Amino acid sequence: MSRAKQLAVLTLATLVLAGACAHRKTLVTPEVPSPESSVATATSGTTGTGTTVVEAEPAIGTAGAPEAGVNASDLPTDLVELNRAGYIKDAFFDTNKADLRDDTRELLAANASWLKGHPSVKLQIEGHCDERNTEEYNLALGWRRAFAVKDYLTSLGVDAGRMGVISYGEEKPFAPGHDESAWSQNRRVHFAITGR
Amino acid sequence: MRRRVGPVCLVFALLATALAAQEEVYLKVTSPGLQRVVIGVAPFASRSAVDAVAASQFMNTLRADLDQTAVMGLLPEANARLVEPAPGDPGLTRQRWRSVGAQLLLEGSFSGAGNQLVVEAQLSELTSGEIAYSRRFQAGNALAATMAHTLANEIVRLLTGQPGPFLSRIAFISDRSGAKELWVMRWDGSDPQQLTAHKSIALSPAWSPDGQWLAFTSFLRGQPQLFVLRPTQGVFKAISTLPGVNTSASFSPDGKQVVFAAGDGGDTHLWVVPAEGGTPVQLTSTRGICTQPAWSPNGRQIVFTSTMGGSPQLYAIDAEGTNLRRLTFEDQFADEAAWAPDGVRLAYTTQVDGRFQIATLDLRTNSRAVIDGPGSNESPCWSPDGTMLAFVSTRTGRKQIFTTDPLGRPKQITGEGNNSQPTWVAQVQ
Repeated sequence: MSRAKQLAVLTLATLVLAGACAHRKTLVTPEVPSPESSVATATSGTTGTGTTVVEAEPAIGTAGAPEAGVNASDLPTDLVELNRAGYIKDAFFDTNKADLRDDTRELLAANASWLKGHPSVKLQIEGHCDERNTEEYNLALGWRRAFAVKDYLTSLGVDAGRMGVISYGEEKPFAPGHDESAWSQNRRVHFAITGR
Repeated sequence: MRRRVGPVCLVFALLATALAAQEEVYLKVTSPGLQRVVIGVAPFASRSAVDAVAASQFMNTLRADLDQTAVMGLLPEANARLVEPAPGDPGLTRQRWRSVGAQLLLEGSFSGAGNQLVVEAQLSELTSGEIAYSRRFQAGNALAATMAHTLANEIVRLLTGQPGPFLSRIAFISDRSGAKELWVMRWDGSDPQQLTAHKSIALSPAWSPDGQWLAFTSFLRGQPQLFVLRPTQGVFKAISTLPGVNTSASFSPDGKQVVFAAGDGGDTHLWVVPAEGGTPVQLTSTRGICTQPAWSPNGRQIVFTSTMGGSPQLYAIDAEGTNLRRLTFEDQFADEAAWAPDGVRLAYTTQVDGRFQIATLDLRTNSRAVIDGPGSNESPCWSPDGTMLAFVSTRTGRKQIFTTDPLGRPKQITGEGNNSQPTWVAQVQ
C-alpha cells in the first residue's frame, strides 16, 4: 500500500468515525509507519522477494487468512470489540519454553497475513506464563516468548514498528486454576490491538 | 521445689529435640553453646509515677522479644513465680533466680517525667554473678516498644556479637488491597503498612543495606520499570526504563549501585546502574535468561540464575563481569539465591516433584540441603543477623510469608491476601 493510499484509508476512517464515536481520539491517532523504519525491518521476508513491509499484499502460501486485504474501515470501530473479534489468534507454548512450535508458526503466519492486510493496526505482544516458575523468572520467560513471536512476525514481513512487546509473566493468568489444563492456557502470547 | 523444676525442664528439652528431628527445620540452631540461654526477667519496679500503658507495653514487648530468637529463651513464668525476692540482698535474689533455672537475669526499674519513660536495666550472668550490662533509656511514652526492642537487641548482641532482629523490617508484595502493592511490616508480621497505591503490579522489592531505600519493579507506566522509593521521605523515582523486565534489584553492600535484570533483545541480562539513577551498564551477555542477581555481602561477586546451560541454575560472576562459574548441578531448577550475611551460605529455590522447596548451599564445603516442606516454598531471604529465614509458602492455601522460629521451624507471619517476595533489613532509616 502506498503512503498516499494509507493516508486515504486513514482519512476515510476518520470520516467514518467522525460521528458519535466516544473513542475517536484513541482510534484515529495511529502514526503512519515511516517508510524508513519499515524498510529497515524488511530483511528476511518469507516471500524472498525483498518486498518492503509497507505493501499490504496477501502473504504467499498462507491459506486461512480470509480478511487479508480488508481495509481498517471494515473493522469494528471500538477497540474492545475489535480485540474481542479475535482476528489475531493467541499463540501457545510448551512448558518452560519460548520456542515456536510448528502449529504456532502456522498460526502466526495467518496472523501475519491478516496484519499485512490491515497495515494501520497496531498491537502489543504480551508474553504470559504458567505459575510454575518463580515470578521473576517467569517475567523473563514471558519476555522471551513475546520477543520470539515479534521476531517471527517481522520475518514474515510485518513492520516491527507496529508491534510493542511486554511481558506479564505469571501476573495476569487467563485461566485461574492450578492444574495442567489451566497452565496450558496460561503459557501464551496474547495480542492486544492498541490502535486501529 | 527445686528438684521438681529440673526434670520438668529436661522433659521439655527432650520433647523439643524429638520434634525438631521429625519436623521441617530450615536452619539448625548454631549458637556456640548449642542450647538457648535461659533468661529470667524480674518485675521492674516503678520508682515514680509512670504511664502504666507505656510501662506495660515495654514489659510485654521485651518479654516477647527475649523468647523469639535461637540464642535465648525466657524462663517459664511458672519458674519465675517461685522466686521470692530478697530485699536488700541482691546476691541472694540472684541465687534464687539461678536455682529455678535462669542463667541470665534482667532486672530494672521505671521512672517517669511528663510524657517520658525512663528505663534502667541491668543484666547479670548468674553463674559468675557478674553484671554483664547496664543501661538507662529515656524516650517518649509512645516509643516504649522501640525502647524494649532496642534493649532486647543489645542483649542479643552481648550473646552473639550481632544485634537482634527486633527493630528489623520485612518489605514484601501483597495483593490484600486488590492489586499487588509494596508493603512493609515488622519482622514478626505486626504493623503492616502499605507503601504504594499504584493499583498496578509491583514486584521484587529489595532493601538498600542501610534501610533507607527500597528498589522494586512496577508496571505503573505500562511497561515494567525499576524504581527506588525512600519510604520515610516519600522520594520515588525510576532508575531503569530499559526494554524488558527491569526486575530483581539487589543493592551493592555500599548501597551505591543496583544490579538488576533487563532486556537485551529477547534475552534478559544483568545490568548495573547507580542507585541514584544513571546509565545502566550490561554485565552479562550469554544467550537466554539471566535474572535474580544477588550481590554478595563483601561486594566482590554476584550470584544469579541463568538458563545458559539449559535449565535455570545458579551461577556466580565477579562484580566486574569476569570469572563466570556455575554453582548448582544437582537441581532440576535453581533460582532466587539469597546470600546469608556470612557470605558463605546461600538459600535458594529448587524444585522437587513439581513443587518449589527451599535449599541451602554452603559455598565453602559445597554441601547442599533441601528442606522438604508442605505446599510450595520459595523466595527465601535471611534475617540481617543470619539466624532466621523468611520465605513464601502455599501450605495454608494462598501464598503467605513464613519466618523460622528459634528451632528453625516455619511460623506464618501474614494472613490477609497473597503475600510474597520478602526482603529483610536490620532497621529502616
